[in-house]
Amino acid sequence: MKKTPERIERLAAEYVLGSLHGLARKRFESWMMESAKVREEVWFWERKFGQLLGEVPEVTPPTSVWSSIERRLWPAESLVESPAGKAQSRASQRWFWPSWSILATAAALVMAVVLMQPAPQSSQAQFSGAIVQADTKDPLWLVSETGQGNLLKLRSVAASAAETGKDYELWIVPENGQPLSLGVIPVGGLHQVTLTDTARQALSQSRTLAISLEPVGGSPTGKPTGPILHVAQLYEL
Amino acid sequence: MVASNSEQDELMGLLIAVSREDRQAFQQLYKKISGRMFGLCLKLASQQELAEEALQDAFIQIWHRAAEYHSDRGAPLSWMMTIARYRTLDLMRSRKAKQTSGDSYLEHVEDQREGPLDVSLRSAGAAELTGCFNELSDVQRDSILLSYYRGFTHDEVSEALSSPIGTVKSWIRRGLMVLKRCLER
Repeated sequence: MKKTPERIERLAAEYVLGSLHGLARKRFESWMMESAKVREEVWFWERKFGQLLGEVPEVTPPTSVWSSIERRLWPAESLVESPAGKAQSRASQRWFWPSWSILATAAALVMAVVLMQPAPQSSQAQFSGAIVQADTKDPLWLVSETGQGNLLKLRSVAASAAETGKDYELWIVPENGQPLSLGVIPVGGLHQVTLTDTARQALSQSRTLAISLEPVGGSPTGKPTGPILHVAQLYEL
Repeated sequence: MVASNSEQDELMGLLIAVSREDRQAFQQLYKKISGRMFGLCLKLASQQELAEEALQDAFIQIWHRAAEYHSDRGAPLSWMMTIARYRTLDLMRSRKAKQTSGDSYLEHVEDQREGPLDVSLRSAGAAELTGCFNELSDVQRDSILLSYYRGFTHDEVSEALSSPIGTVKSWIRRGLMVLKRCLER
């Protein structure tokens, strides 16, 4: 579909309103990643409509909400004393993809699900999370790290096969610099990737994974060439 | 937005501190805006449990992404409220857990005027959007506000306003463009 100014204008408004759904919404999100003009158009509506949001009456949330937030952000503290404490001093995130913020706002992808597990016994914090999609109830993939050997496991749950002639490729999005490829990932079953020390290091800093759609066999350039379908943030357990 | 300039400044200061991982500032921010945010989540979702989850998610996003805020995205409060709104809509979509109380709202809407968009909201919205909503027809305005405030899909708006879905789509599309032209003036 061609990105005419009229179409961008119309779709941005419907996107912010929430009336753009399914594939059309996803396609528009990839437009946002590609184009500053599209993002500005979205922000225009977010600003304008945002003015309406303060008009809603206040309701005090139950105190359990705050404790859940704390537990999700700093799980190490609610468990036994754990070396994961270093996670708290993590520097603020710098995203490789400038449009990550929008994508996340759009949240078609977003929040990794915290999987409650016993406190890690190893000396290294472990990652866990899920790659989710707004219109799918189950996560597409569950991601977890095993204590030994820097092994990242992806368990396919609700992921569906890439379109013909395409593959999904998994990336670590570091705080700075180019994404690091973790290779093509299959749909179905359990897939394991061994992280190099560099990759483990990058992931422990950014805790961010992304999946892009690439030609069969993966990106020919070493960088993502297709649309970024999902971005997920992992949590340290 | 109901926040005064001085409150926006204060929220800005808290956001900056949060971007530096200041947990105290984060808690203060929560105290300041969680009521408004929860009110919004609840209004959209009409479901306590989903609203609580959306509120949690929104604050977790704010913690991770405070540094990404910039003024092009609106005032600090509306940026954070927008995060909460998107998150609530996502959860609603993914669960298709539409509010069970929705039906009673729908009856009201058919009677026109009241219901989900009560008069105060309607007028407040109109004032805030510099009167541009006044340039819309009633059905255009209702379709847009139902989508925005209640997260209604086209189908639901069509049911609420007892009108064919194609008609509703065109009300929304045309209404948005009238708004845009007006807001740009």
